[in-house]
Amino acid sequence: MNPKTTIVVLSLGLAVWVAGCGRPSNIPEESDPGVANARMGSMLDSKADNPIHTIVMPHDEPAFPPGPGRDEFVTACVVCHSPRYITMQPRFSRATWLSEVNKMKDTYGAHISDEQARRITDYLVSINGKAGTGHGPKGTYGE
Amino acid sequence: MNRRGFLRLMGATGVAALTASCNRINSAVGPLSSPDDLSRFPEKTEMILLTDRPPQLETPLHYFRQDLTPNEAFFVRWHLEGIPTSVDLRTFRLNVSGHVRQPLQLTVDELRSQFEPVSIVAVNQCSGNSRSFFEPRVPGGQWKHGAVGNAKWTGVPMKSILDRAQVKAGAVDVSFNGLDAPPLPSVSDFVKALSIDHARDGEVMIAYAMNDQPLPMVNGFPLRLVVPGWYGTYWVKALSDVTVLPQAFSNFWTDKAYRIPNAPNGTESPNDLAKDTIPINRFNVRSIFVRPDPDELLHPGVPAEIEGVAFDSGYGIRRVEVSMDGGTTWADARLDPEIEKYSWRRWRAAWTPRNRGQYRLLARATNAVGETQSKQQWNRSGFMWNVIQQVDVKVR
Repeated sequence: MNPKTTIVVLSLGLAVWVAGCGRPSNIPEESDPGVANARMGSMLDSKADNPIHTIVMPHDEPAFPPGPGRDEFVTACVVCHSPRYITMQPRFSRATWLSEVNKMKDTYGAHISDEQARRITDYLVSINGKAGTGHGPKGTYGE
Repeated sequence: MNRRGFLRLMGATGVAALTASCNRINSAVGPLSSPDDLSRFPEKTEMILLTDRPPQLETPLHYFRQDLTPNEAFFVRWHLEGIPTSVDLRTFRLNVSGHVRQPLQLTVDELRSQFEPVSIVAVNQCSGNSRSFFEPRVPGGQWKHGAVGNAKWTGVPMKSILDRAQVKAGAVDVSFNGLDAPPLPSVSDFVKALSIDHARDGEVMIAYAMNDQPLPMVNGFPLRLVVPGWYGTYWVKALSDVTVLPQAFSNFWTDKAYRIPNAPNGTESPNDLAKDTIPINRFNVRSIFVRPDPDELLHPGVPAEIEGVAFDSGYGIRRVEVSMDGGTTWADARLDPEIEKYSWRRWRAAWTPRNRGQYRLLARATNAVGETQSKQQWNRSGFMWNVIQQVDVKVR
């Protein structure tokens, strides 16, 4: 499995940014926002010679066990989002997982056929499913 | 390594015993029994990892002992895979366009230098904060109570910017778009909108600073919309485009997503889903325990400090009651002085447990217009959780 992911931060300005973190977080005393802003302005100016701010996102995704439907899952799902969208969920019924897969297909336009959706659902149920065929809550949007 | 995912997958492939031993963080605050995956992202401290692509990071509860949540620990929630990872302040512009007489293209420096700055201390909370406590469980980001934070936001009132752009008569909505981008053309870009009156209320603002520092990239550098008292879905990150519209705004993220039952506290029954839904909007009132720590052991005869934070949509917290006996008797907690009306307010209660055993602590907040917390709540999306929180503590 992946070792602890190393994070590379390119921004030269970052040292200035993180220096203020971890301080006691009391409410600033300045009642005049201009005072606080002037102080912050000088801090912002200190990175003016490096106006490009860049971060590098860590790659920290779990591996998945082999099983029927795994290839379809990797091809159709992981292209758009981390498999952690699956592993963070509680165990759901097949009905709920199928609803989630169909949401990805019908609402977000994942390029999968009905047959592929079925196989992906099989896989999700096998790795994070709940026994029984009861109707769990259907997924909604924006969660 | 994703410990929880690994353990569950091992369980799924036959090594179920491995999942049995996990009970590190949540034993006292909720039903979850998995340990947290912690992860450190750029400009952030170790946070609870929900997802890594796009990132969804939850604040560990102990940070809420501070009135202002440190930037490095402030929760993170993106929708689309294509999040901005590089911003060049020389070329970045805030574009204000649409139903205006004077379209604007403003640099961050111009926002800082050409407008009178304002600061506000305000809670930002994800619509789905505490989703993992709903029963029956619902799909979505499985947040505990840490998709919330309180910060001092500094920037420019939206009204000042719209006034400079000279909004034409007949404006209805204002839409807000950020630098994030969908992974497929079929996925709607994440754009949110407010009514023109709301956008011009003098409180909605564009922040270029958070706790007197530039925003971390994953919290919306360089600019973020601040909508005091409203759920985080409206607080568009890496804000780049403000568009004034002569008609009501419509897109997937408003018409289909982030909707709640048009019912008291957005509640519905799993067996009878509401037909009538509305966009999520103002915070309801709620309280979150900060102390004791979930793992903290209390002792008979030894005073313990019980502490939490409470907030609402800006009416102001007026009362927090606590119960140390599972809700049989209640007593008023002491309220710290109000910081600002959109800030959370700290409460404290002294408690000296007399006997050994297991105690159930409850806290219930009430605001200035009488809104309070209930015992039961559910909706299909897992939004707006504000059930009276229970914390089980051991006295030994």
